[in-house]
Amino acid sequence: MTGYLIRRFGQAVIVLFFVTVITMLLIHLFPGGPIRAMLGPRATVQQVAIFNHLYGFDRPLYIQYLKWIDQLAHGNLGYSPKLNLTVAALIAQDLPKTMILVVLGTVVSLAFGVPLGMYQAVKRYTAGDYVLTGVSFLGYATPTFFVGLLLIEWFAVSVHIFPPEGPQGSSIGQILSDPQALVLPVLAYSFVLYALWSRYMRSAVMDNLVQDYVRTARAKGASERRVLWGHIFRNSLISIVTLLGLSFPTLVAGAVFIEVVFNYPGMGLAFYNAAQNVDFQVLLGFTVLATVATIVGNLLADISYAMLDPRVRYSR
Amino acid sequence: MAPLLRVEDLHTDIRLKYSTVHAVDGVSFSIEAGETLGVVGESGCGKTMTALSIMNLLPTGGRVTSGSIKLDGTEITGLSEEVMRNIRGNEIGMIFQDPLTSLNPTMTVGNQIAEAVRLHREVSKEHALERAAEVLDLVGLPRAKERINEYPHQFSGGMRQRVMIAMALACEPKLLIADEPTTALDVTIQKQILELIDDLRRRLGMAVILVTHDLGVIAGRADRVAVMYAGKIAESTGTGTLYANSRHPYTEALFQALPDKAAETRERLYSIPGMPPDLTHPPAGCRFAPRCRYVQDRCRAEEPDLRGETADHVFACFFPVGAREREDLKISAPPPAQEVATPVAPRANGQVLLAAEHLVKDFPVTSGAVMQRRTGTVSAVADVSFAIRNGETLGLVGESGCGKTTIGRLIVGLERPTGGAIMYGDRDLVRSRGREYRRQRRAIQYMFQDSYASLDPRMRAGAILREPLEVQGVGSRRDRVKRVEEMLGHVGLPQTAVERYPHEFSGGQRQRLGFARALMLSPTLIVADEPVSALDVSIQAQVLNLMRELQREMGLTYLFISHDLAVVRYLSNTIGVMYLGKLVEVGPADEVYLTPAHPYTRGLIDSAPVADPKAERAKVDAGVHGELPSAIHPPSGCRFRTRCPLAQEICSVVEPPLQPFGANGHRAACHFPLQTPSEAEGQQV
Amino acid sequence: MTMMTPPPSGSLPAGVGSVVAEPDASETGVGATGLDLARAPQQRGLLRRGWEVFAENRLALASLGVVLFMVLFCFIGPLLYHTDQVHTNLDTSRCSPSGSHPLGCDGVGYDVLGRLMIGGQTSLEVGIAAAVVAVLFGTLYGAVSGYLGGVADSFFMRVVDAGLSIPYIMLIIVLSVAFHPNRPVMVLIIASFYWLGVSRLVRGETLTLRTREYVQAVKVLGGRSPRAILRHILPNAIGTIIVQATFAVADSILILASLGFLGLGVQPPATDWGSMLAGGLQYMQSTQNYWWLIYPAGIAIILTCIAFNFIGDALRDAFETRLQRR
Repeated sequence: MTGYLIRRFGQAVIVLFFVTVITMLLIHLFPGGPIRAMLGPRATVQQVAIFNHLYGFDRPLYIQYLKWIDQLAHGNLGYSPKLNLTVAALIAQDLPKTMILVVLGTVVSLAFGVPLGMYQAVKRYTAGDYVLTGVSFLGYATPTFFVGLLLIEWFAVSVHIFPPEGPQGSSIGQILSDPQALVLPVLAYSFVLYALWSRYMRSAVMDNLVQDYVRTARAKGASERRVLWGHIFRNSLISIVTLLGLSFPTLVAGAVFIEVVFNYPGMGLAFYNAAQNVDFQVLLGFTVLATVATIVGNLLADISYAMLDPRVRYSR
Repeated sequence: MAPLLRVEDLHTDIRLKYSTVHAVDGVSFSIEAGETLGVVGESGCGKTMTALSIMNLLPTGGRVTSGSIKLDGTEITGLSEEVMRNIRGNEIGMIFQDPLTSLNPTMTVGNQIAEAVRLHREVSKEHALERAAEVLDLVGLPRAKERINEYPHQFSGGMRQRVMIAMALACEPKLLIADEPTTALDVTIQKQILELIDDLRRRLGMAVILVTHDLGVIAGRADRVAVMYAGKIAESTGTGTLYANSRHPYTEALFQALPDKAAETRERLYSIPGMPPDLTHPPAGCRFAPRCRYVQDRCRAEEPDLRGETADHVFACFFPVGAREREDLKISAPPPAQEVATPVAPRANGQVLLAAEHLVKDFPVTSGAVMQRRTGTVSAVADVSFAIRNGETLGLVGESGCGKTTIGRLIVGLERPTGGAIMYGDRDLVRSRGREYRRQRRAIQYMFQDSYASLDPRMRAGAILREPLEVQGVGSRRDRVKRVEEMLGHVGLPQTAVERYPHEFSGGQRQRLGFARALMLSPTLIVADEPVSALDVSIQAQVLNLMRELQREMGLTYLFISHDLAVVRYLSNTIGVMYLGKLVEVGPADEVYLTPAHPYTRGLIDSAPVADPKAERAKVDAGVHGELPSAIHPPSGCRFRTRCPLAQEICSVVEPPLQPFGANGHRAACHFPLQTPSEAEGQQV
Repeated sequence: MTMMTPPPSGSLPAGVGSVVAEPDASETGVGATGLDLARAPQQRGLLRRGWEVFAENRLALASLGVVLFMVLFCFIGPLLYHTDQVHTNLDTSRCSPSGSHPLGCDGVGYDVLGRLMIGGQTSLEVGIAAAVVAVLFGTLYGAVSGYLGGVADSFFMRVVDAGLSIPYIMLIIVLSVAFHPNRPVMVLIIASFYWLGVSRLVRGETLTLRTREYVQAVKVLGGRSPRAILRHILPNAIGTIIVQATFAVADSILILASLGFLGLGVQPPATDWGSMLAGGLQYMQSTQNYWWLIYPAGIAIILTCIAFNFIGDALRDAFETRLQRR
């Protein structure tokens, strides 16, 4: 297994290299250059030149790249002139809040998605299965932001059960002190994820139900319950765990939209604001961070897959 | 004494989306404690469904609709799931065909066996694991105590089947049901497993129901046999009686379709015409009637009961073999359409058509998706040389991993050899490139093993057959269509086949299609890789007959690759035996079979089950012990030495060369051969 | 919004068909070869068989109907129902549904029903076009990479992995900000990174098919690689590709809508269903209930996407099962 992991790690490093190249090129795609985009069409050519020099955009591309990598290695993610903060500070401020949303939302979605998916597989083609399938398809077809809008409309505007905005505040403590305001954002966030887990769980369990080893277990005299929980659940979970690791981009997307809809002061909202203001250091920094997280997530997915599936763990 | 298990008039249905299959349609039999009952039949006959019905383990949509199954006098059909669960694994154990998929890949072997124990006995986990180690030891797994913590994929096929057996026997059931337990295993391992089951049966006083399609396996292991056809039992009696004096026309026909008997006389095999009936709408009257040589009007109208002169030998036929009714009505088998053909002999010129010289093929074992690093090499073919003469059939036989399939692929160009030459005429095929190479392809064609996978499912049969001509640019469109028509006639497929898709054909027909495709370019040599292995005996006979016929008509030469020694012997003039990448013996078919020189050949011949109970019982303590070594690190010197009873020190140091035995090109590579090597330089093969 | 294809809606109960092996439904009667294939009724092409399986799925048929309805509604509708979608009119801002405005008006006075139609045109056009571009390019890339194998394949796939590691949403937000897109540019933006996922799938499919024996058989016949790819691999991969394309359309519509909601989509007076919802947030908190600013556009998105998803699912089943009987 160690061989396998070392290989995967090496692959991840290479991927990271490609990613940094792509991301840097992306910034330079802005017509007129990133500085022009940031300062707007009314900035004078001299102003643009000054900033170009300041940020090193007048140097050759590969020099810029190397400088940037150097910066990153030192933990310097840049500076946001619009917010007057280093990007690192911004992240330190907003990341924890986003984490709360993401973690809670994922936990809720798993808590519903995994058991219900299994239920659907066991009771396949019954009315319950069809209803839940319908819900899942709804989840695939509804934009996350719209789920948020609907929840606000139903539970905050028409009936005032929950506040229409997410918890405000700059620290985790402040966020957590307003749990009522967390309910709708977390629910909205988890809805689409729920659809994903339940569909995959249903599929995995159904695939496992017809495997030969299930027949063997029954031939031993195992009850359906034992077969389900002792054999099928474990084997189906492997695919869910790996899926979890690979779903980071989806988690990020959800965060952006939910935070915008609920005005939740996390990284998603900050990214959106940065986009509106063409605060490209923030954009770059956030993207790099999210990408690294995605790569790490993929790696974790592979690691857990290797650990959970003995065929990989003890491969010769 | 009441029988251990008595099945009476069992009916099992399987409900599909639009139809219901009457898979088991009135089956009755019984089995005593301590005996082995063989249930034999071809695919679709209902033998597996019968076995599953006993334990009520039927697939979705399956149900026992009527009949009685009594275990030790107690009725077990219609029992609640809870009660049934107490019986499964406890009083009745079952093992299945494929041990790889039948074991949970994410649970240790020990835990899986312990689970079987703890389901039926009140013991702690530790005790259960102890019992697991105990029972693994019982089934002959070396180092059982250490290996209980390993996972199924870490065992070889034979070992995995032992694990399955251990699991089934953990609670010492009274009855063991074995559904094709050795079909997925190599022949030498098969013998080990069958012996193990027999041995355990005696020791534990169990009864065994052995379900298989292999008449040879039954001959050696069963006390009594029930032959099934189309959901019913056709004949049931003691093993000796069945093979010596079968009464049902189907059984008789089966024996005549086996290559075992015909191998000596090289007669044309009897192939049963037609197909088994569709069990969603079973016919009135005798189910075998449409295909029976002796069919009379009564057979088509009425269904015969299972009866016989003695209770010990029953069969379902109005006009069984040897019955008085036959003489009365003057029914006899139509004059043997199988003329005793002269055995296919090499053509007068006996010229060498293709010669493999020191062929080597190594496959790299890589790890690393980024940088492919070579962590090892599989030595699939290690310095193999042989020659095929014009018009003859060279049969390559061996077990998994021996390299015979790789050699086939090397010759047709699906792989490139790591070393050596393939001389066709005076040209080395390995050296040719480009257009010349592609043109040479016309002379050597290939028949794949899996007909389903070798025919593009999206192409109609006509297009599939035209493709070789299109690729080589032969003839006009019209010519091609004509040639396709011709070829369909040769292989016995109707003209309407051109419009069909592969999935609309049966297995036997697909093999014919594959054969036809191989023949389209008028090749001189056809490499056939296990062309009949996936077919039922009766269909197999059809394809083998066809191959022989066309060989004569078209002057073809065959390289016939198979693991089935009987089939190889039947079809070949020369046999080559391979083991772990080496050619260990080669020579005229009869000589190699009757007087083998290499211990492995001897072991192989002994392990292969033949449909003759006397011969089978005579094979005491024969066969090959041990497991196949790794092909990445093959044993030094003689590769067979780790399993050879005659191995000495020299065998691990010096690789034995091929020595001649006799003047007919019989050669074997062994330091201590079973025959005396001849000094004379025999005819160079 | 996910870029992951929904898994199959169900596995076929295995084991049953395989135990009762032969014969085929077409076999009856005796002959020298024992087979009577003379019955012509089986002479239907694979396309017809596939359609039959598809048509069995009533949900899929209904979805097809929904899609057709949407297309008609969005493209033919404006010809029958004229509204001004170019000039704003603050007098009618947020007017309630009435005879002259069946679905009311939006924040700047546009008629909502009319807006729904032309917004739908954008959503459908961009959705379908982006899906087609992404799938075409992804298929080519993936098929070539899979067939070449070796170092080339590794390199190509590393690039794909890299692209897929960057969260898609961030990428297109940045791109949308950079380019102030009109419809064609939007298509390119969405497709620019969507093709990565497609290429991976097609590559996987190619790898699988490459080892199939009927592809290898081409080599034995003396044929060359292009023949193998064009005549054998692609036709057998088409099923997966088409299914992918269907899901891609649904995804693209969602992506476009999400961007529109953020104000980063097509610019006014052009609109799409998502942009129609952009203003929804601010009006929700007022005392009056402006439901027509939220529900019509949202329901249009959901209906259309669900329809495409059902169609994709049914297509997947159709491609899988049409090569089997019963």
